[in-house]
Amino acid sequence: MSTKEQSVNDTIINMITNLKPRSMKLPEYSTPIKRSLSSGSNTSNDETQPFSKKPRHESILDVSYVGSPREIRRLRADLLSTRNTILNLQNQIQHMHGVRKEMQIMFDNEIGTLRSQCERDSKSIEELESQLQTIRKREIELKEQLSQETNKYDTLKIDCDAKIEMLEKKFSELSTQLKLQENEENGDFNKMKQRINELEMLYNAAQEEAEAYKKLTEELNSRLAECTQLKQDLELKDQLIQKTRLEIKSLDYIKETYTEIQSQAKTQHHKLSTYNDLEKENKKLKEEAKHLRDEIHNKLLLEEEVHDLKGRLVNYKEHEKKLATLQITKAQNDMYLEEWRAVARNICETTAPDMTLQKMLRSLVERLQQQEITLTSEKIQLESQLKTAQHDGKIAKADAEKNQHLVTELQNNIQQRQNLIHRMQKKLLLISRERDSYRKQLDSYEKDLTICMAPSSTAQPGANSYRKQLDSYEKDLTICMAPSSTAQPGANQLQTQKERIDNLEKVIDGYREMIANNVMLLFTEVAPIRIEQVRRLEEDINLLKNENNMLRERKDCLEIQLEELLVGQDNVQGRVVHSAKNPLADCLMQREIEKEKLAEEVERLKRKIRNLEEGLESSKLNESAISSKEVLALKEQIKASDTQMQRLKEYFKSSMQEFRNVIYMLLGYKIDKTSSSHYKLTSMYAERAEDQLCFQLNPDGALNLLENEFSAGLDELVELHLRHQKSIPVFLSAITLDMFNNKTMTTKTFDVDEDEPL
Amino acid sequence: MTAIEQKNKSAITLRGSSEIICEYLDYGINSILYQRGLYPPETFKTAENYGLTILMSQDNKIQEFLSTTLNQLKEWLVQRIVNKVALVITNVKTLEVMERWDFNVQYEGNINQGNDQVSDKPLKQIRNEIRDVMKQIASSVAYLPLLDCLCSFDIQIYTKSDVVLPNEWADAEPANIKNAQSVKMRSFSTNIHKMETVVTYKNDD
Repeated sequence: MSTKEQSVNDTIINMITNLKPRSMKLPEYSTPIKRSLSSGSNTSNDETQPFSKKPRHESILDVSYVGSPREIRRLRADLLSTRNTILNLQNQIQHMHGVRKEMQIMFDNEIGTLRSQCERDSKSIEELESQLQTIRKREIELKEQLSQETNKYDTLKIDCDAKIEMLEKKFSELSTQLKLQENEENGDFNKMKQRINELEMLYNAAQEEAEAYKKLTEELNSRLAECTQLKQDLELKDQLIQKTRLEIKSLDYIKETYTEIQSQAKTQHHKLSTYNDLEKENKKLKEEAKHLRDEIHNKLLLEEEVHDLKGRLVNYKEHEKKLATLQITKAQNDMYLEEWRAVARNICETTAPDMTLQKMLRSLVERLQQQEITLTSEKIQLESQLKTAQHDGKIAKADAEKNQHLVTELQNNIQQRQNLIHRMQKKLLLISRERDSYRKQLDSYEKDLTICMAPSSTAQPGANSYRKQLDSYEKDLTICMAPSSTAQPGANQLQTQKERIDNLEKVIDGYREMIANNVMLLFTEVAPIRIEQVRRLEEDINLLKNENNMLRERKDCLEIQLEELLVGQDNVQGRVVHSAKNPLADCLMQREIEKEKLAEEVERLKRKIRNLEEGLESSKLNESAISSKEVLALKEQIKASDTQMQRLKEYFKSSMQEFRNVIYMLLGYKIDKTSSSHYKLTSMYAERAEDQLCFQLNPDGALNLLENEFSAGLDELVELHLRHQKSIPVFLSAITLDMFNNKTMTTKTFDVDEDEPL
Repeated sequence: MTAIEQKNKSAITLRGSSEIICEYLDYGINSILYQRGLYPPETFKTAENYGLTILMSQDNKIQEFLSTTLNQLKEWLVQRIVNKVALVITNVKTLEVMERWDFNVQYEGNINQGNDQVSDKPLKQIRNEIRDVMKQIASSVAYLPLLDCLCSFDIQIYTKSDVVLPNEWADAEPANIKNAQSVKMRSFSTNIHKMETVVTYKNDD
């Protein structure tokens, strides 16, 4: 505080001092600013202090300052003015302070900004410094590298220099070597040139030699051509020779034929000389021929006859057979005859000769026949009688049946009657009961009558009175019986009672008799009534019977009607008419006709069967004749076709042979077919008969050579012509040539100059 | 008579009615002959009538027989002496009657008019009635027993007693069938003749 007070005092002093020279006031203002700049924080205290310490200053002044009144007034005026100025100044100061504060704020802001800038700058500086350091480090490193590189470069340089030197040395060496070589090559080239020259020389010589050889070859070729020509000539000659041989052969043949012809001519001449004789002979022969022709005719006739005879012979043979059988039968028949004769003799009981035996037998037979006739007539009579008897019997049987029928009917009737009687009896019973009831009624009526008119009748009331008495007695009896059973009044009483009972019983008997009599009387009275009743009943019965009959008739009628009304029955009213020519009738007619036809056929067939069984073969013979004709015709046809066939066969054979011969002659091989697809070839020039080639036709249509002894020896030809050239004709011709050559070699002594025939 | 004709142009006379009946019998009998297999089916040919296809026999004998019989019948129908026409099917072997087709004839209307009698029943209606009967005849095969034997037929006409028989006509025996069963078909009428068809056949059971 002291410092502060001092400072304030200082300021006041300063102010006082400063009040005098006003001009100096303005620079003073700059001081606080300067101070504030240096010590900003104290400025606020400075601003407040002057207002609070003013009075003190005054007091101090008052005290210390005592002078004249003018001076005091002037001082006071001065003070006042100073005070105003002070106030102004203070305002100014305040204003200034405000400004200064603003400025300070501004400055502070600026300072803040600047500080931050500074900080940033410092940071950037630091960074830059660090960068710089790093750069420096890099620089150092680079420098080091540089130094290293430089070192390397130096070393490289040194090396390169060394190498260059080496290379230069080498180059120089090489150049020297080149020079040396060049020198050497120059020497070689010369040598080569020399050699080439030599070789050229040699080549020329060789060419010359070749030309010489060419000439030689040409010469040789020409010679060869000559040789081939010669060969061809030779072949031609050979061919010619062969031709000539063939010609010779043909000439031989011609010669032979010529000789034959000559001989024939001679004979002809001879024959010519004997022509007349021949003519004569001819005539004779013609006659003979005519004769022969006639004979042939005869022969044909004879043949026909023979044929007929053959047929007949067959028939005769059959006849013979029959004959044999007939003979057998005849023998049997003879035996039988003998037996018969013996029998006849036995029958006739004679030993007379056979002639009489017949007559005797006949007479006997006649007698027997007559007997038989009589017997048969008797028999017929008897049969007729039998028949009549049978017929009678039948009739009787029928009658009996009828009678039996009747009997049964009658029995039925009887039964019915009996039934009826039964019924009637029942009815009778009913009627009798009725009668009884009527009688009772009658009785009751009678009673009524007696009641009404008692005196009118005598007998009946008597009876009634008896009955009544009887009833009373009976009642008494029962009454008497009752006390006897209940009490015992005494034996006397009982005896009397018994006596009474007996008496009474007697009386009862008497009454009973009386009643019976009365009843008898009554019956005799009733009889006529009964007869009437019976008659009436009989009438009823008759009526009923009639009714019954009527009903029966009605029933029959109805039954008949019913039958008529039945579905299947045809009710006929009037006439039923139809056309006579209806299909049914036609059908039946046809059926009848058919039946007849069938019957006829059956008959015919039966006859036929019989005929067949008997062995008569008239129809069969006819058929066989027809068939034999046909057979003959067919046989002739067969013969004709056979002859044709034969002719064709012959023709084919001859043509085949000719064909084969031609093939043999043309191709030099005889071809035989041994079996299916096997062919055997025999060459014209074969040395042996076994030298044959066998071929087989395989399914593809190609020919395969089969190995045998002969073909095994032809390996070369097989290899060349079959395997290589694949041509069978070439192979065969090669074999032919080969064999021909062989044959000609062996038979070189072929005679060409044989004598020509005439 | 002329007046009546003028009145009813479509009127059916007695003769016309007889013709209708005979036509029906012709077709009916042919149909029965075919249906019952009396003759081989290949001898029949179809014909159209009554809106139906009916098989008619082409056999000359049958045709001739039917024509002669029906012509005679026509005459008798005009004379009103026919009671019944019967087609009798007989076994040829045993002569047993297997079937009888009765065509019962009844005379309707005023018989006293004699030949002048006419009917104004439409022909179409009559033909429809006949068609129905024909259908029934055709379907009768379903229930009639199979005729597995050789059979033939006859036409018998049941007349009144005072008939005069022409040549080639004779009396016939009535055809009775044992153990028979009968089926009645529909009937039709021309208002002059009423025809009732009944089949009676031997029951095999």
